Amino acid sequence: MAVYRRGYQRYQGPLTGRWDRLFVLPRFAWERLMQQRLVAIFFVVATFWPIACALFVYLSHHLELLRGFGDEVAKFLQINGEFFYIFMSAQAVFAIILSAFAGPSLVAPDLANGALPLYFSRPMTRFTYALSRMLVLVGVLSPVTWIPGVLLFLMQSGMAGWTWFTENYRLGLSLFFGFLLWILLVSLVALASSAYVRWRMVAGALVLGIFFILAGAAELANEVLRVEWASAMNPARSVNQIWRAMLGLEPFPGPDEWQCAICIAAMTTVLILIIQRKLRPVEVVS
Amino acid sequence: MTPVIELQDLRVKLGRREILKGISCRLGTSGAGKAIGLLGPNGAGKSTLILTMLGFHKPAAGSARILGFDCHTQSREVKSRVGYMPENEALIADMNAVRFLRIMAELSGLPARVALEKAHEVLFHVGLGEARYRPLGTYSLGMKQMAKLAQAIIHGPELVILDEPTNGLDPAARARMLKLVAEMKNEHGMNILLCSHLLRDVEEVCDEVVILKDGAVVHHANLEEERRANRRFVELEVAGDDRNFAAALSEHGAEGVNEGGGRWRIVLPPQVELDILWHLVGRENLDVRRLTHRRDSLEEIFLKAVGHIQRTTGDSAAPAEEVAANGRL
Repeated sequence: MAVYRRGYQRYQGPLTGRWDRLFVLPRFAWERLMQQRLVAIFFVVATFWPIACALFVYLSHHLELLRGFGDEVAKFLQINGEFFYIFMSAQAVFAIILSAFAGPSLVAPDLANGALPLYFSRPMTRFTYALSRMLVLVGVLSPVTWIPGVLLFLMQSGMAGWTWFTENYRLGLSLFFGFLLWILLVSLVALASSAYVRWRMVAGALVLGIFFILAGAAELANEVLRVEWASAMNPARSVNQIWRAMLGLEPFPGPDEWQCAICIAAMTTVLILIIQRKLRPVEVVS
Repeated sequence: MTPVIELQDLRVKLGRREILKGISCRLGTSGAGKAIGLLGPNGAGKSTLILTMLGFHKPAAGSARILGFDCHTQSREVKSRVGYMPENEALIADMNAVRFLRIMAELSGLPARVALEKAHEVLFHVGLGEARYRPLGTYSLGMKQMAKLAQAIIHGPELVILDEPTNGLDPAARARMLKLVAEMKNEHGMNILLCSHLLRDVEEVCDEVVILKDGAVVHHANLEEERRANRRFVELEVAGDDRNFAAALSEHGAEGVNEGGGRWRIVLPPQVELDILWHLVGRENLDVRRLTHRRDSLEEIFLKAVGHIQRTTGDSAAPAEEVAANGRL
């Protein structure tokens, strides 16, 4: 019977599981994001660098194609920790820009329209709400971060052989966990920004600002105070230092990877506190 | 029978202020499909009570149970059985109604395909069928209220909490909203908790009413019983020789007090209908000038409860049970 004729009936059938419900918000949000032309264009642009890196890996195993360029090129075409670090650094920038596009549209509309009481009057906690919003960003950022990274690593392993893989599996793990750390940080920044300012455009600008302005502020503080520890204020720099340690590379001057990890943990805690404070169904003025 | 709402010495503090000061009551004990009115002046604690029942505020002491589940410790069970229509704007402006309702239904646990069907079904039910693909931000106030009602009932909850559902509605929309609420309880067996400042709305729809003042319950009445009791109290004014009228009344077990000038106050026994008075008046050759039921309107109940009208026994506006307890007029 046509839906407009049959009238309202109470639903009394089976309900979905708790974990299925966790993916309801991400599913709708991904669908909505993919309808935005700018996001689609950005996804395409974000594949250029991984494709270039894949070409680099291919060429490094087919040096005969570059015989005319001499030995210098052969030395340059080495697939090692430095190569993956450069790949990660470039994709990390794409991740920031993408999160600035996608992140604010997740929480800000719910807050601006006062929709949180409707979500939280259903079997959903603040934790599950924040987690499902974060899953949206994990889903959006994964195709530009760890997925191409791991594919690149597998491509290199396939071409270089089993021995290379067993000697360098650490690089693959570093790619995966390093990017996960980055996704966590970027997602928290995006969620906290949109929860704090509630205005989509400003929240997007704030995401970019936190990464780029903090980087500038850290360098300025280093120069003015003639110190190196201020680099830890720069979240990108701190994560880069951790990545370098994971990939077995020479560290940057300044705070070591453990000090950077503490700074990142502190930033993460502050961001979680902001999200926890702002994502409330009702404001209580005491 | 498990009451729909059971509050036991419920105390809620917001900051340092105690908003709910030890509320105890059992509401909705007479079976499914009942509507409970929640009334009180501004600042009485109605919204705090609703938000506590939804698990948004933690009780400082005591407990609130809905359908037998504790609102704080079993919040998941409570929320899966409750639908909530907030007073304030809560719809996402740039989303269309079908999509919004699908999300809400799926979050309540409906499978995706059923959620889509239900979204269409409930939007037609509340009269938004033709506007279901329009962004919610373009809706009029009345349409928004209907959309909020739709999201509250899409998952078929056992209890629907409606916070000021007729706010800002024109008379036609208000009548439609009240009709839908009445249908929800009568035809679909849902329990309703209706919080409203409009006493007529509550009177029209609710079976029970609880009145809060300064964070405490000051009155709890069963409106159906009040209405039934009121029908037994009659004020009659007649012209003619009414000296034998009291005796005539007592033949049928009714009691009457002559207040002079042909004015009578009469209590009919439960099994005696009003028609008997017409019969007796005719037999005694009296002319009826006026015949009225005493009717305690909800407004009177409310004003008495919050202290704006003095309670006096013998006052025509006194609660039915007090007069009945005296046994005499």
